[in-house]
Amino acid sequence: MKKLAIYTVALALCGSALYTAFAADQPTDPAKVAAAAAEPAKEKEPLVCFEGRKGATEITQRDLKPGWPNVKCSPTTSAALWYGDPYEGTVPMGKMPQLENLPEGHAVVRPRSEKLNLLAMCGTACHNGVGPKANPPTLPKDKKPIPIPTMEAMYPDSKDFQHGRGRIWCLDCHHTTQRNKLVDHFGDPISFDQPQLLCGKCHGDKLRDWRDGIHGKRIGDFTTGGKKRWFVCTECHNPHNVQDGARNRGFAQLQPEPSPQLPRGMKDAKHEKVHPIPH
Amino acid sequence: MLGPARSRFMEDHTVTPNETPSASAGQEPSCTCPTPPASANPAAAVPKTTRRDFLKTGGMLSLSSLIGTAALMTQSDDANAAIEWAEHFQKNYRLMTDKEKDESRARLEKRYSAEYGKEVKVDTTGPQPGMLMGYALNIRKCIGCRRCVHACVAENNQSRGAKPGEKIEWIQVLRMERGKFEKEKMDHGYPEGLGIQVGGNAYTPSGQVLEGEYHYQPEAVPEKDATYMPIACMQCEKPPCVKVCPVRTTYREADGPVVIDYNWCIGCRMCMGACPYWARRFNVANPVLPKEEMNPVTHYLGNRPRMRGVVEKCHWCLQRTRHNRYPACVEVCPVGARKFGNLLDPESEVSKILERKNVFRLKAELNTFPKFFYFYD
Repeated sequence: MKKLAIYTVALALCGSALYTAFAADQPTDPAKVAAAAAEPAKEKEPLVCFEGRKGATEITQRDLKPGWPNVKCSPTTSAALWYGDPYEGTVPMGKMPQLENLPEGHAVVRPRSEKLNLLAMCGTACHNGVGPKANPPTLPKDKKPIPIPTMEAMYPDSKDFQHGRGRIWCLDCHHTTQRNKLVDHFGDPISFDQPQLLCGKCHGDKLRDWRDGIHGKRIGDFTTGGKKRWFVCTECHNPHNVQDGARNRGFAQLQPEPSPQLPRGMKDAKHEKVHPIPH
Repeated sequence: MLGPARSRFMEDHTVTPNETPSASAGQEPSCTCPTPPASANPAAAVPKTTRRDFLKTGGMLSLSSLIGTAALMTQSDDANAAIEWAEHFQKNYRLMTDKEKDESRARLEKRYSAEYGKEVKVDTTGPQPGMLMGYALNIRKCIGCRRCVHACVAENNQSRGAKPGEKIEWIQVLRMERGKFEKEKMDHGYPEGLGIQVGGNAYTPSGQVLEGEYHYQPEAVPEKDATYMPIACMQCEKPPCVKVCPVRTTYREADGPVVIDYNWCIGCRMCMGACPYWARRFNVANPVLPKEEMNPVTHYLGNRPRMRGVVEKCHWCLQRTRHNRYPACVEVCPVGARKFGNLLDPESEVSKILERKNVFRLKAELNTFPKFFYFYD
């Protein structure tokens, strides 16, 4: 008799649990309805993925045609994993010595200027070459870097400047009077979209390899003379800290994509860390 | 229903011998040798009218009655069943005529489009003349981020389920520890206390170990004490997998890559045993490929969806590279370690690397002659 009572109680509990489960399925609560409506809206928020290193170029995901996105992003690291259109948002690279043989428009780059958000102001707000009459701009007499609080606040990198290990300074790369430009050996301005012209001043071997496609990266048509998007120096390297501080590797650390599936029945991959031969 | 099917078949059969003499007419006409010169291309092989051919014709006649049965099957309402029937009777891809390839392509496009709810293209573009694909990887640059692995999965329609055997990746990234030689170990080793035959730094990751890790998952890569080595199909010039295939469904294409006709694969996995680079994967379970993640641009020998019980592997994104696009892994490598190009073109990036850099082939001592080169600056 006691057993029977226990069974009935259990049955009743199950029934009530089932009932609540079904009731939860129907969004009768107005708050729940609102939440459900808000969810798809959240999904529509454009997915932005970064390409090389974090903080350099980014691509916003959109559909080029139904079922064919311009880019697929990694769900774990939000890195760009697949290009539907390799030439998205590109402009012609411009003149590049020893690449004159390439057909017009077959070398394209993604402009860096849009990511450098201070760039539009640099040449107009402060470094416009004019200045107030009472305090006309003067060029520094020597090449000793002087800490300028405004610059340090805007560019924290400049406080602990790594590139060249103290052997170069700002105006070796940046133009003296046109601060939204870089500078070549003749003192002529170089666009921020063509940093290879500047970096090649010192890193000639790397420039040569880059030009031949050995260093750096190109995407699109692999045949010689085919249309390629070229990745420029600063898309992969941070020009102010090229070797990533003390790591001395040239590329910033980033989160890896997930590891492969473990074989059936294996709980973890600890065996890989063991070197099992005793001696 | 049997009539048209048979007449179509007969027509095909009579056309084939007519084609080959006209093709060989351009060759030396004075050749009276009984055996025609051998050709690497099975389609171009000159047929002989022998007893064997007679038997073959007889066999094919009986086969045609089977095709008639298949034709009867097409009367059924289930379109998929009909397509599957037709697929059972198609030839090895290498022996198909262009017409048969087109028919097969149309069948597959229809089936895939219905299955994945979007317009799926199955490409049958053949090798281009003057093209020999080659690959180079800068092993000093690799940071082990595994973006190539996942780009490959996004491009090539691999199975991506959660259960064991349902997740297939073609590229493996091997992490190798970089250890130190240590003073403390000087007194260890064999013989005890001397460590002459076996020094104390043996069996520990001093300098570099050869045992690698595939399942590493640190917070950030590259780690200071590790180097990384990605491995996938090496597209050997002398592929051991091709040698062992009992049904000759895997073979080397004229422009380099080793490919698989999935329809002819019997799933015996001999090729997996023969491959010294662990490059081949087997579909143990029914492949799990969500509709929205399926890549609708496919190649017959490349990334078209596979079935259970067939082997698959890297084919250098044939659906891209046959149309001059870089493979997917090359395009996503954040450090630009992966390079791809035409080995016959002296201006291509791979040719430049072979000319200028120190390169090596993995397990070169096995004489597989890979077209995948590792290099370093």
